Amino acid sequence: MEYNKVCLMYRNQDCTVDGIRSALGLAVENMYAYGCVMDEPKMEKFNELQTESLEMLRDMEGDVFSTTKENSELNDLEPISIEELGEKLREMTHIIPFGVIKA
Amino acid sequence: MKILNIYRSAPDDTTKKLAEIVGRDREVENFDLAVDAPDYDALVDQIFAADQTICWW
Amino acid sequence: MSKSLGIFVTNPDQFKHVMGITKAAKAKGSSVKVFFSWDATHNAKKEAGFSELCELADDVSICVDSYKNMGYDIDDIPKGLEANKMATQAQHGIIIEDYDCYLSL
Repeated sequence: MEYNKVCLMYRNQDCTVDGIRSALGLAVENMYAYGCVMDEPKMEKFNELQTESLEMLRDMEGDVFSTTKENSELNDLEPISIEELGEKLREMTHIIPFGVIKA
Repeated sequence: MKILNIYRSAPDDTTKKLAEIVGRDREVENFDLAVDAPDYDALVDQIFAADQTICWW
Repeated sequence: MSKSLGIFVTNPDQFKHVMGITKAAKAKGSSVKVFFSWDATHNAKKEAGFSELCELADDVSICVDSYKNMGYDIDDIPKGLEANKMATQAQHGIIIEDYDCYLSL
């Protein structure tokens, strides 16, 4: 059986937390689910529930990446460059540019 | 593998870079959704014909 | 036989396209499922065509947690939607697993 591999990308901090929840929802459904926080500005620090969501996602072999050093350090997200993200997307069965871009 | 890129707005450099890498060595079609009257009939045909559809921001 | 189509909506400004694509797909005999999440759940209350979409598509649901987060009362069920379609992210999983074609808007 081939499992789906899904990556959601967030370019608006307002939807990042919900986007990670969406990734977690897919991981629960037996998919490899990833999220990527892109662009500025800086995220807010995850609360306990959000940190738990990230840990659960990692426990299910998913992950959340960040293209900025600040966000990676703040919320313990795996750093990734745009080029590396592009290569990762090639492995995905579903690519989801999530929400809106912050104006 | 046939990829359909749908653009909801004019792609910026980041979107262009990602679409370029994903589409490398693959068959790629593009559809601009940011027009006054998109041809939805044609778009659905393209979605059905593609192996993967990516609707960029 | 026409392919089935699942649409995952996370951008509140895409409703016109959700309708246009759903109409076109239905005209081709497709089965269409639409799931609204995060601030796209505003569409369920603010778009006049939402109840028409519920009639047109084979399955329409919204994320009830997102709806609540957008400030709505979860007992205030949008017109056209059945109570059991105030649902969870599992609906997104169904779209990915069970539908031939996937579209996010």
